[in-house]
Amino acid sequence: MSNMLTVTQVEKYYGNKGNLTKALDGVSFSVQEGEFVGIMGASGSGKTTLLNCISTIDKVTSGQIVIGGRDITEMKSRQLSEFRRKKLGFIFQDFNLLDTLTAQENIILPLTISAVNHREALSRTSEVAQTLGITDVLLKYPYQMSGGQRQRVAAARAIVSKPAMVLADEPTGALDSKSSRILLESMEKLNTELSATILMVTHDAFAASYCKRILFIKDGQLFNELIRGQQTRREFYAKIIEVISLLGGDVSHVL
Amino acid sequence: MYYKLAFRNVRKSLRDYLLYFLTLTFAVCIFYVFNSIEAQEVMLKISTSEKEILKTLTQFIDYISIFVSVILGFLIVSANHFLIRRRKKELGIYLLLGMKKSRVSRILVIETLFIGAISLGAGLLTGIFLSQWMSIFTAKIFEADMTAYQFVFSVSAFLKTLIYFGLIFVVVILASTFAVSRNKLIDLFSAQNKNEKPAVRHPVFTVILFILSIACLGVAYQQVLKYGIMDFDYKLLREIILGAVGTFLFFASLSGFFLKLLQRFKGIYYKDLNFFILRQINSRINSAHISISFVCLMLFCTIGILSTGLGMNRAMENSLTAATAFDVEVEMNTPGGSTMSISDDLASKGIALSDYTKKSYEYADYTNPSILGTEILTSDVYDKLKKEYFMGGREYPVPFIRLSDYNTLLGMKGKPSLVLNEGQIAFSYSAAAQGFRDVVQEKWNRTGRISLLGKEYAVYPKMLSESVVSIGADSSLAIIVPDSFLVDSTGKVTDGFAASGSYLQFNCTGDSKTVQDEFEKRVESFYGEDASSVEYFIVTRNIITASYAGTKAIIAYVGIYIGLVFLLTSAAVLSLQQLSEISDNRQRYLVLKKIGADDHLIDRTILRQTAIYFLLPLLLAVVHSIVGLRVANDAIRSLGGINAAQNILITAALILVIYGAYFLATFIGSRQMIVREERNE
Repeated sequence: MSNMLTVTQVEKYYGNKGNLTKALDGVSFSVQEGEFVGIMGASGSGKTTLLNCISTIDKVTSGQIVIGGRDITEMKSRQLSEFRRKKLGFIFQDFNLLDTLTAQENIILPLTISAVNHREALSRTSEVAQTLGITDVLLKYPYQMSGGQRQRVAAARAIVSKPAMVLADEPTGALDSKSSRILLESMEKLNTELSATILMVTHDAFAASYCKRILFIKDGQLFNELIRGQQTRREFYAKIIEVISLLGGDVSHVL
Repeated sequence: MYYKLAFRNVRKSLRDYLLYFLTLTFAVCIFYVFNSIEAQEVMLKISTSEKEILKTLTQFIDYISIFVSVILGFLIVSANHFLIRRRKKELGIYLLLGMKKSRVSRILVIETLFIGAISLGAGLLTGIFLSQWMSIFTAKIFEADMTAYQFVFSVSAFLKTLIYFGLIFVVVILASTFAVSRNKLIDLFSAQNKNEKPAVRHPVFTVILFILSIACLGVAYQQVLKYGIMDFDYKLLREIILGAVGTFLFFASLSGFFLKLLQRFKGIYYKDLNFFILRQINSRINSAHISISFVCLMLFCTIGILSTGLGMNRAMENSLTAATAFDVEVEMNTPGGSTMSISDDLASKGIALSDYTKKSYEYADYTNPSILGTEILTSDVYDKLKKEYFMGGREYPVPFIRLSDYNTLLGMKGKPSLVLNEGQIAFSYSAAAQGFRDVVQEKWNRTGRISLLGKEYAVYPKMLSESVVSIGADSSLAIIVPDSFLVDSTGKVTDGFAASGSYLQFNCTGDSKTVQDEFEKRVESFYGEDASSVEYFIVTRNIITASYAGTKAIIAYVGIYIGLVFLLTSAAVLSLQQLSEISDNRQRYLVLKKIGADDHLIDRTILRQTAIYFLLPLLLAVVHSIVGLRVANDAIRSLGGINAAQNILITAALILVIYGAYFLATFIGSRQMIVREERNE
């Protein structure tokens, strides 16, 4: 398996000389094709900055980010938006579905933006919808769906363009526990059945327990790494809680 | 501290305020310029009657200004409402920090006053500057010479502008205070992220509505084309109501209809972000269609008023020269058939004609109660004229004029005499429009003969169009006949005929304009002094010119005034609507960007959306106008020729400039809103 994502010595500074904030301070790691990786950390640890840099929304101060063999830190803004829509899929915390569009139209959006032929786009939409079990809500509007259905539509939109990598930013942040479970199971399914590479940022240990590998980040630096291996989800969850308590000594702070 | 906060707010949201500020300034400017017309009098050399007309015009403008200020008031209040909505979160933060609602209101009041003061100042300055140019235009309309340049400043217009807009600002302040006090803190905060429930109408319902709207419009058009617009009766009212209802239904159903239609063409529907645009418009149409319909109707009015107003102006210019034969015409009605001489009567009152003119001429016209205009023209021509030129009332006796009188008058104007053969008579119709004359001429060309009192006469082949006889005698058809037809050699009037009026006509010596005014004043001075004395009707070239110029000026000024205000209002309303939509839904555009739509595609999407918003009402208004102008042109033609193409071009240019400017400003504003907001995220 090849490396889908390689992050090398990435630094991101905010502010000026007098008052410098190192949001990312020499972060290096890699994600292999078909992996489901979680990034955990407390608020202000730099995990969202890291995700923004990887998702090309933000620029790094120094270092290299290579996705699917292409160095995104070298690209121009025009190339970046093309790269973003062709290689990356996004799942946001607040769904970010367009409430004027039906589920089907929401899912098809990335394809029409990339000017994919409408026949192919429509067939791919129904394919993805089937995988995620949302075929029956395709013609509904977001406000007619449950939270879990909405987030699965968002997930469908993220993978419909067959991105090299799906980036999820706190996808369960706005969901109740039941919907969270359904969504995470769908993401797991994406990962195992469609072998999608997923990078998820979360501070929810429960959500993180669905990942195959977890990177912990603290004050802009990698702090620890957990690999699920053959453990059950429950065992893995306990391990995560352990690390979290190590991280800040305050479980409630990150939960 | 509140002042500081208010000023900083204005500076910070300068871009948001820009459109508001421009609209205000423009409105103030228009308001001042049109209300300052009376003050321009100092620069014009005009007669007393023209001054009277200028007064009437000012009165007209006064009334219309009330109407205009109501429209502008609504516009400004809603623009302000938009600004407040955009700043709900900011206001929420003030409240959250513990500021009292009254304090927050005070900040808004200071801001409003600040912006108001600046735009009033800027508007008045541009207005004062523009009104200098306006006087050139006024001079042209009155065909008056300009005296030496004088700085024109109208105190009354200045104060009026201050008072009217001051009142509008008071309303704005009340409205924004109300908006703050009514809102709950939670609403202020969640205003930006509220999940709108899109209005979903049943597709069949939409299609039925759309068909209904087309039907309404079709019937209205057909009725207007059939019956015209000159008779103001229930038919016209029905046409207007049908047209308005059709317009409203059209915009209410259009987006839904097109959505359904385009969904069948998946290639187009799923191209670019077309379906996003369509859904976006469809989601707003419930609230937007009413204002779009109003904008459409206002644009229709603008196009109609501007192009017919300008056309009317030209048509009147054409007939002005035809209407006045001599500088002064005095008419004396002699119902008893008495043959008193006007000049003798005037002399007995101490008015010597020689003080005013070198040469004058007096004559009479004769009527026979059994020879009516309808009969002469025959009913088919009469009906045609009535329908096409809206001229009624030809049921009175036709005046006859002796050939010798006619030729003397021609001689006074330096024209060659008219020669009639034995048994020949001539028709004169000088005050009418060319098209009107053509209809009558065609009739004589066909028959060439006419029967009067049982005797056949040949008709002089050419309709006489030279304005020679008095307006009193010539306001309708007149017949020129050999002297013997009316009076025999002994001076006895032919049986059945009677002198109906005496006329005195002359050109003034010296400075004609002043002399005319003097003569008129002299004659008028003994009016009413002796009720039993003869009745005079006096027409001077000054009066005619003034009344023409006055009608022209009133039509032109009122037309341009209302047209400009309507145009400004429609453009500003559309602009506000589009901007508030983008601002309310900027989250959606940001999502598009995150998904990977590049700036290019976003630009294109915004451009298309803005273009649809601006073009749709304009397009329907143009269709309305094409029908409307066809009918209006027919109406104007009765007053003289009209160069429709040129007026429409001028109107189009005006619309292009103002409407186009707002369109561009809206597009740029929308773009910036999305780009800037992203930076702030």
